[in-house]
Parts: sequence; C-alpha cells; structure tokens
Amino acid sequence: MTHPWPVAITGLGCICAAGTSVDACMDALYSGRRAPAPSLRFTSNHPTRFPVFEVPNFSEPPELLRTSALGLQAAREAIADAGLDPEALRSLRVGVCVGTTVGSAMNNEQFCRDYRAGRDPDLAPIERILRSNPAAAIAREFGLTGPCQTVVNACASGTDAVGLAASWIRGGLCDMVIAGGADELGRITYNGFISLMITDDSPCKPFDKERKGLNLGEGAGMLILESEELRSKRGKKARSFLLGYGSACDAHHLTAPKPDGEGLRYAIAEALSCSDTAAEAIAFVNAHGTGTPDNDRVESRVLASVLPGVPFLSTKGYTGHTLGAAGAIEAVFTVACLERGMIPANAGFATADPDLGGTPVQANTQIEGSVALSESLAFGGNNSVIVLGKRGTA
Amino acid sequence: MMRMAVKGIGVTGGFGSGVADLTAALKSGVSRMDGITIPSAQGPLQLPAYRAATERLEEFVAKRALRRIDHYSKLGLLGAHLALQDAGMLGTDLSRLGVVIASGYGATATTFAFLDSIIGDGDICASPTHFANSVHNSAAANISIMLGAKGPSLTVSQFDMSVPSALMSARQWFAEGRVDAVLFGAIDELSDLIGYLWQRQRGSESSGIISPLQADQESSVIGEGAAFLLLTRAENAEGYCAIDTVETGSLYQGELPLPSDALLVLGADGRKELGARYRATVPSRSRVACYAPLYGSMPAAAGFDLACAALILQNGAAFPITGAACCDMDGVAAELETERVCAVRLAGANEYSKIQLSRL
Repeated sequence: MTHPWPVAITGLGCICAAGTSVDACMDALYSGRRAPAPSLRFTSNHPTRFPVFEVPNFSEPPELLRTSALGLQAAREAIADAGLDPEALRSLRVGVCVGTTVGSAMNNEQFCRDYRAGRDPDLAPIERILRSNPAAAIAREFGLTGPCQTVVNACASGTDAVGLAASWIRGGLCDMVIAGGADELGRITYNGFISLMITDDSPCKPFDKERKGLNLGEGAGMLILESEELRSKRGKKARSFLLGYGSACDAHHLTAPKPDGEGLRYAIAEALSCSDTAAEAIAFVNAHGTGTPDNDRVESRVLASVLPGVPFLSTKGYTGHTLGAAGAIEAVFTVACLERGMIPANAGFATADPDLGGTPVQANTQIEGSVALSESLAFGGNNSVIVLGKRGTA
Repeated sequence: MMRMAVKGIGVTGGFGSGVADLTAALKSGVSRMDGITIPSAQGPLQLPAYRAATERLEEFVAKRALRRIDHYSKLGLLGAHLALQDAGMLGTDLSRLGVVIASGYGATATTFAFLDSIIGDGDICASPTHFANSVHNSAAANISIMLGAKGPSLTVSQFDMSVPSALMSARQWFAEGRVDAVLFGAIDELSDLIGYLWQRQRGSESSGIISPLQADQESSVIGEGAAFLLLTRAENAEGYCAIDTVETGSLYQGELPLPSDALLVLGADGRKELGARYRATVPSRSRVACYAPLYGSMPAAAGFDLACAALILQNGAAFPITGAACCDMDGVAAELETERVCAVRLAGANEYSKIQLSRL
C-alpha cells in the first residue's frame, strides 16, 4: 500500500431531511431535531405506515429523476462553497464520481404495470432514467470534460465514490472531482426493505438495545476534491483533507454483515495505513449505524476492538438511511463536525445494549483531535472507510 | 502510467463460452443468432438477439449452490471462473483479489421480477429474495462469496461508458497498491422488458445483420453476456497483452485525438445515431475493426471489445470478419498485422473513451 498525499476538500454541499444546505443540516443535528414521518409523496398498502425521512418542499424537474435533481442541488452548493464559477469549470479537467442505488436502475413501476397489463406504455419514464444517470447528469449540467463514474456499491456507494475520486486526483486523471452520493425515496426501496424485515415502524434507534431496524431517507451529499496544483493556483483554503480510503469485501452473505466484521476491520486498517494515521489520532467515528440489529452489533464490536475508547455516533437518526447517498452525506457531516470541534448526540439512542461493543455519544460532545473516520457497510458485503481531517496531524 | 496485463479471459455470449469459442467466432466471423419473444400490439414478436448460455458454470460450481442465483449473477460467475481458469489462478489464494463489475443495466430480470411481486400480489407480498438480488452489486457479491475474494469490490453503472469508467478505477487500485490482481467483468443480461424497450426505441428495422459502420440505417441486434479479464500489473507479467492507458470523458468541441499507429476497435454496433457519430469522429483513413456482429449490442459489449483486442494482440493480427473489419472507414481492406490496439467507444452526444493496448 502506498502512502499518497492527502487530497484537499474545498467545498461541501448537502440536502436531506435534516436540511437543504450543510449549515441547515448541522443546525438540525446540534439541535437534536428530527422528524421522521410516513411518506407524503407515495402510498403503500402495508397495514403499518413506516416512518421515512423525506426532503420536504423539493420538486424535481420532469426530465430528471429525483435522485439526480437532489445530486445537482448538492453539487451546486458545493461548487459555490468552493468559490467556483460554474462556467469556469468548463476550462478545467473536472471529473464526477457519484454513488447511488436507484439512480441507474431500470425500475419504473408505472411503466412495468402498463407493460404487464398489455398496454404500450409511454417511454418517457424510461427515457428519464436513461437521461438521469447521476454522475452523467451532473457532468452534462456543468459541461464537464473529465472522467465520469456512477458507483453502485449499494449502501457503501457514497463512501466509495469519495474514496475513488481522491484516487483520480492522486493519479493525475483530473484537476478536480465533484464526488458524493444521491438517492431518492420511492415505493420500490420502501417495499423492498420492509420485505427484508429490517425496517423500524418507529423512529430509528441506532445502537440502542430496543433498535428494530432502519428508517429510509433520501438526499445527496457532494464534496469538491481538488488537486494541490489547482488549489494553490486558485489560492483556495481547504476545508479539510481526504487522508485515506480503505475498502474490503466480507465475501460472506448478500445482505448480512460477517459476524466477526472481518471486512470492516480490513477496510479500517487499510484506510488508516494509507493515510499514515494512528488509531489513537482518531477523534471520532461517524459510524454506519443503521439501527438494524445485525449492522449495529457487528459495527460496534469492531469499533470496540480496533478503535477502543474513540467516541462514535450514527447520524442516521437525523437523516434516515439514504442508501447510496449515506456515505457522502456522512462525509460532509464529518468534515463539518471537525470544523466545529463537536459531534452531535446519536439521535434515537436511550438504552445501552450489553450485546454491543459500546455506546454512542448521547449529547453534543466536544472532540479532541482533528482527524475522523466515516464508514459504510453494504449489501454485497462491501465495507468502505474514509479518513478525513487536517494534514500532518497523525 | 500504470500498465496492466491481461492474464486471463473469460467470456460467454452469443458465440459460445470461453476463449476457444470466441477465437473460433473471430476466425470464422460466425456467431449464433438467437431471439427473444416480446409482446406487441400484433401479438408476440420475435426479435433477433444474441443470448448467452451459463451451462458451463456447472463445471466450476455445484448445481445445488446455484439454486438461488439469478441469470445475471450466473453470467458473472461463469465469466469470472473462466477468466481465473484461463489465467491458471483457479484454486489459488484470492484474498487480495479485487473485483470490478461494469454493467449498463444490472440485474434487470430480477428487478422486474421484484416489481412483478408488488404489481401482482400487492406491496405486502414484495419478494425479499428478488429485492436482495436486484441490487446492482449482486453479481460482484456472489462472485466474491463463491471465490472468497476479500479485496475491494466495485460495481459501476454508467450505461455505455460503464466498462471504460470502471477500468479506470481498477487501474487506480493497482497504482495505489490496493490489490495484487483484479477480476474485471462486464455483464449485461437480456430480459423480456429490456427486449421490449429495445424494440420500442429502435423499431423493427434491423435485418438481424449488424452493419456497424453504416450511419444511414438501424442494424443493431441486442445481446447479452459477460466478458471478464483477469488483470495484474504488467511488469514481468505473462499474458495476452498490456492495457497501457484508459481515458474517458466528454468532448464538447474540437477533435478526439486517436493514435494513427494502432488498429482502432470501435464500439460501433449498428445503432444508427452512434454510427453517424463514429463516422464524424474517426478519420476516414484510420484502420478500424468492429466485432459487435459476434455478440450484439449492449453496454457490456465494451468488455467484449477488450477481449477481442487482447486476442488480436496475442495473434499479432486483426480478425477480418465480414462487413466489419479490418478496413478503413470507407470499407477498403487494410493491413491485418498490428502491435497496438485502441478500443474506442462513443456514447450519447459527447461521451467518449479510449483504451490503448499493446503487446507485452
């Protein structure tokens, strides 16, 4: 494993149920505000109305999937935050790397209903899907000429997209990358997760003894990653740095994490190693923390084993599980928490579970240190970890 | 620049399964045309299509272990095992093996089956098995589980640009020392709904004979299959060829620079609008070859193009299949011998990729 240089993060953007900008989200997190509720956008004939975390008052244009529209909004905020004129991006080699789960799936329900009913359905929904590949939609919107990639690693997609984007900068493939994740809520994922019986019918309770599962959410998080050459030319101060990235597969089960957390352990070790960061330097961990019994047990035990005593929290109690967007939204939150020197309480936690490896932070907590870790676990056994923070603090 | 070696190839498509079948098709120019039945206002309609078989998977995996594996993942599993076998790596320690999958559409049949479970029986009867297997990275997961591959795993879905985009990230894994080898695969499956969409979008103009370089008529034929490459670092490696560079992006103005000393393997596949773009982009005197007539049109075809490029470099010469190679853009026959290949793919209005390969 090589020890490449850190990659600067010069802009952040976020939209989710917690807020429609990074600052609005952080206000909600530090205030402990959350409002999961049955969907206002779709219905289901399940007898139980499971709460979700929807982005209120957000409408996508008819030509785009909601996923891509969310991604575009977060990208616009990140570009502005980086002090960039969108027009100026055309003269640079700018790439786009976006994680998603539904953003490239050919799964329009009404189209399929009409098709199964023997009608010749309108092709518009399919053409919208073909036009809405999240990374391609962002590249097209801003006229970007660099590499473009939509990562579909299930719930680790956002974290992987950020980690891969950094490798493009390190490899000299582009000057800048708009990296992150985006996903929308819909009936298909809603019914799918209910069918797997890992959905909580009350507000989710990550790492709590009474946790019953996840609440779905939607949103997007975007980060501007920039080469040192371009950043120094622009005279732009970095908000933070992506110091390392690790990824490993459990090779165990399609939907369940490996009980001993082998893949996650390897991913954490790789991320720490390639960032040249000691475990003791980690100020906090933004955990995957979905609120499902299996995820939280495996994840907390691994953290207790490899990062003992390090404060951890899940922010999914504020956002719901935003699937392919989650890792990116959580990367944005991690940077914002490092800047503020404080992490929010793990929403939904009330009772410690003796079966877990530890308990998350239960109040807004000052942190010591300037490096943090954000991690994602996913269907398919994917485990992905990024290390974020100041350079030279390891 | 990090060079990768193609150490093994595993393919299944309309031409058959394995390197021997693909080589035979390249030499004969003949592939097996099948079909798919789709509904239409006039009743069931038979579309020409290249279908891929997965029977050979039972040479590697017990039938019992495949009971819950769908066709999409089976295509991937067969491609993966064939590539490892071809590289002499079956049964070796694969704990540092990375897995990269590129797919334009993912597990479409299972995705539609999940929707059917809701449409037919109501939300409460949504199938958990179909849902779990409908995620885009299901093939990568099944491959990792079956092989015990514990390195990083990546699935990319970028429609026609899935393969070059994913290959770029695979190369970065090598550059950063994350892996010793990468099992790189392109997979797309054909389902009745995908066939229906194809027919609705492209009509029934195609005669079933793909004419890749014709820009004035639709001649595409839909296909399915899996094309896998076992990749290692190129230094001191033995194998089919080296992958020297991978470049993807969008071009809004100016010309796409293409190497003049390489055979250009074009992703042209009979889609009318892309045929016109290839004609506008590729200089007329370029030496080109197109092999879509052996496996059809699908996003994963870019993986088959790479497999063909590797076999060309091993052979030292292009395979002149009827109507598609080896010629200039005006169809005039060109020299077959080549030391370098550049796989060129165009998509949409602006997207492009160039993958340059050479002999090891």
